[in-house]
Amino acid sequence: MKKLILLITLITSSFAFSQSQENVPAVMNDDKNVPDKEKTLEEKKMELVNFDKIKEVLKEDQLLDEANRKKSKVSNKGKKRIDWNQRRYNIPKEDEFWDFLSELWLVKRATQLKWDFEKPAYGIDSSFKEFLEKMGIYEVSFKILVVNSPKVFHMALPSRQHKIFILSLPFIRTMDLSKSEINLLLLEDFKRLESGVFINKLKSSKMLSQLGSNFYKKKFNNAHIDELLKMYDQIAFEKGFNFQEQFGVTQQMDIHLKSDLKEWGKYYNLLQKIDDLVKNNALFRDYNKIYPSPELQMNWLKPKSKKI
Amino acid sequence: MKKALFLLFLFSLSSHAEDNKLKLLKISYLKNMFGHIHQNASASSTSLTTLSCGHPIKIYEVTDRRGKKFSIFGGRFVYASAGNYYGYIQTDFLVDKKPKCFQAKYPKFFDALNLEITDLFYWGKLYDQYSYGKSTVR
Repeated sequence: MKKLILLITLITSSFAFSQSQENVPAVMNDDKNVPDKEKTLEEKKMELVNFDKIKEVLKEDQLLDEANRKKSKVSNKGKKRIDWNQRRYNIPKEDEFWDFLSELWLVKRATQLKWDFEKPAYGIDSSFKEFLEKMGIYEVSFKILVVNSPKVFHMALPSRQHKIFILSLPFIRTMDLSKSEINLLLLEDFKRLESGVFINKLKSSKMLSQLGSNFYKKKFNNAHIDELLKMYDQIAFEKGFNFQEQFGVTQQMDIHLKSDLKEWGKYYNLLQKIDDLVKNNALFRDYNKIYPSPELQMNWLKPKSKKI
Repeated sequence: MKKALFLLFLFSLSSHAEDNKLKLLKISYLKNMFGHIHQNASASSTSLTTLSCGHPIKIYEVTDRRGKKFSIFGGRFVYASAGNYYGYIQTDFLVDKKPKCFQAKYPKFFDALNLEITDLFYWGKLYDQYSYGKSTVR
């Protein structure tokens, strides 16, 4: 008799659900109380059939193991569903975040930076690739964006997977820079990027503590991203880098280029060229604010005379 | 002069690609955050549509009236279609397997940014404007 009741319960529950197909949308809505993915058919069945209440019957019929197996299977599915829903609220970790944010900044500042214009193939990419290899810097993937604005000069934006560089076309043209000089500027930017001075300036942002976390059932504060973008503006357009940071980068360039004195000489001459431009051209006077200062950099590079 | 003729040749190819025979080669997916299908085989050409990462794109081989077959245009573009839009896209932006896209990995974070349509358009343009490279061990 008990066996019959059990059988009827199972049959009726499965029949009831066989009528309703799973027409559940993958994502329901943004309501925090409603899960993104609905319960599966099996989970719904399990809510109706309570194996605990008929435990004795199952034991007698040696169906307890089967019931437990089914229960754990459904519970695993439930866990996976909840995990899936929660994962959708993940905030990227640092290794993905910087590339994304730097591109977001470029997109949001497209009109100021004026990068969307028709340009010929300058060949800077292949030239810089060869230069990096010559300098013994391998497996560096990069993207160079030539901008048609004198608002920025040259800069590497925070990025991990593909190093993002921006180069000002008016700056290159006014300076009449050769490819090898551009390579040296980009190498300087690369050193600055690797030493993390740009990212260090963003450390005060509230967003950084949230990286790699999750905002499931919480509100994501978009203002933190806006704050970071404004910090980018300040660094790229106004404040730039300080003397200490510049000293560190210049020293790194000095060490790296000493092995190739020809390149070292080119770098020194390049700084001289920039110094002349900054002192004589009002359009590029702000260069000293962003990268202080070519004159000092030359002094740091000069070999110190030893007194006997 | 040679350059002008070559450009003219490319233009004639691209503008008449619709009249030519198309053979489906494969289905690829956009690997960048966003991308554009262009009217001509040039990064600065008019965008016909903006696609988001992971969007399936049909890649064609084009046979012209003289029976000549083309699968690459301008050195780095392929003739492709997405939905009803037929045009050109850079081959470097495509992969054969559906990629793990940022938008799909962090959907709620991405939604929370409330990006406007112009942002998505510019994001696609950004990938057309970059010069790419990678240093490798010789």
